[in-house]
Amino acid sequence: MRNILVTTAIALAAMAAAPALPALRAQSRVPDLSGDWAPDRTRGGMGQSLSLSDIGGRKRGNEDDIPYQPWARAKTLSEKTSTGPNSQSEETTDPQVVYCEPPGVPHIYLWPIKTRFIQTQEAVYILYELGPAFRVVWLNAKHPADADPQWWGHSTGSYENGDTLVVDTVGFNDKTWLDQMGHPHTEQLHLIERYKRVNQNQLELDMTIDDPGAYTKPWFSHRNFALSTTGFLRYQQICSVRENQQFSDKLAKPATASGK
Amino acid sequence: MRSRVATLTAGLLLAASAALAHHGANLFDMSKAVQLKGTITRFYWGNPHNQVEFDVKNEKGEVAHWVAYTEPPLVMLERGWSVKSLKAGDEVTVYVFAAKNGAPVANLGKIVFADGKELVANQIPGAAPPAAR
Repeated sequence: MRNILVTTAIALAAMAAAPALPALRAQSRVPDLSGDWAPDRTRGGMGQSLSLSDIGGRKRGNEDDIPYQPWARAKTLSEKTSTGPNSQSEETTDPQVVYCEPPGVPHIYLWPIKTRFIQTQEAVYILYELGPAFRVVWLNAKHPADADPQWWGHSTGSYENGDTLVVDTVGFNDKTWLDQMGHPHTEQLHLIERYKRVNQNQLELDMTIDDPGAYTKPWFSHRNFALSTTGFLRYQQICSVRENQQFSDKLAKPATASGK
Repeated sequence: MRSRVATLTAGLLLAASAALAHHGANLFDMSKAVQLKGTITRFYWGNPHNQVEFDVKNEKGEVAHWVAYTEPPLVMLERGWSVKSLKAGDEVTVYVFAAKNGAPVANLGKIVFADGKELVANQIPGAAPPAAR
């Protein structure tokens, strides 16, 4: 409960502090990212995997476009996912499901939730319906020399070409999966996100995943979002160990048991 | 007035599907929907998934208690559902994707009320005849 209140208070403060966007645009050609962005069902949706060659997760561990180091491939294959074609929900090792830990980024973009951007001169606040959670992308800022590893890392941002927000993040801990398919990362992860509003109703996100601790070279992923006007945070999607246990007892365990 | 009709709003529907559900969608036979007639006993609107509980009486008068789940509230709100969509005592026809192991638990397809109005949770590839469960 406390986390929700803190999140809400910070989000409201951020919105209250936001200067008028037309003024920002006049100064630095800042793209207008306002609105609520839902995974674009007509252009790939969320998928299960960040692999662009295997968005459904059917070739987990053997995708053409993920340059695994051997340990990272073995780790991926050892994980038991809670969703996807070969999910093992009752034995899953997905830390987000087992421990209700934050999904981190980019994992959060593989959930059916909306994202909202609050743009100020100091920072861009990215709000997520899941958690609910938020990130702070500091503008005109540098990363700390030795960032303390944390769930969402340390993000800096800049605008490019008047239409793109570039987010550069380091300082991740190594506890999250990159996606629903158990792709690991280390504290060396360097994530670059490029958010481009291509028209009034569509937002594109290009991602570069650079983690020399887990992958032999940088690799790339992409997500599309559609503008939604149905409302933001109409329900608080909170991970509760108690509610997960209740669901497991009532549905998943009976469905998993051998025979009635 | 409670909203019983699931409205699929093009372009606004979140990209969730049964295949994307957490907690074991592959435990259920998603290839066919089973039709059941029953009475709602409980509607749980919440995380991680909504749950619809209902009793089904067979020709011998025996009652089986079923539990079917949907996507979380955030997703179902986009599909026209709300916390008031169902209540205990509603007499309904329920289409479910039943557990592969025969347990009376399921992934919900849709609910049809006596007046013909529908609450759609998942696309149904083709409704099967009533099951002899």
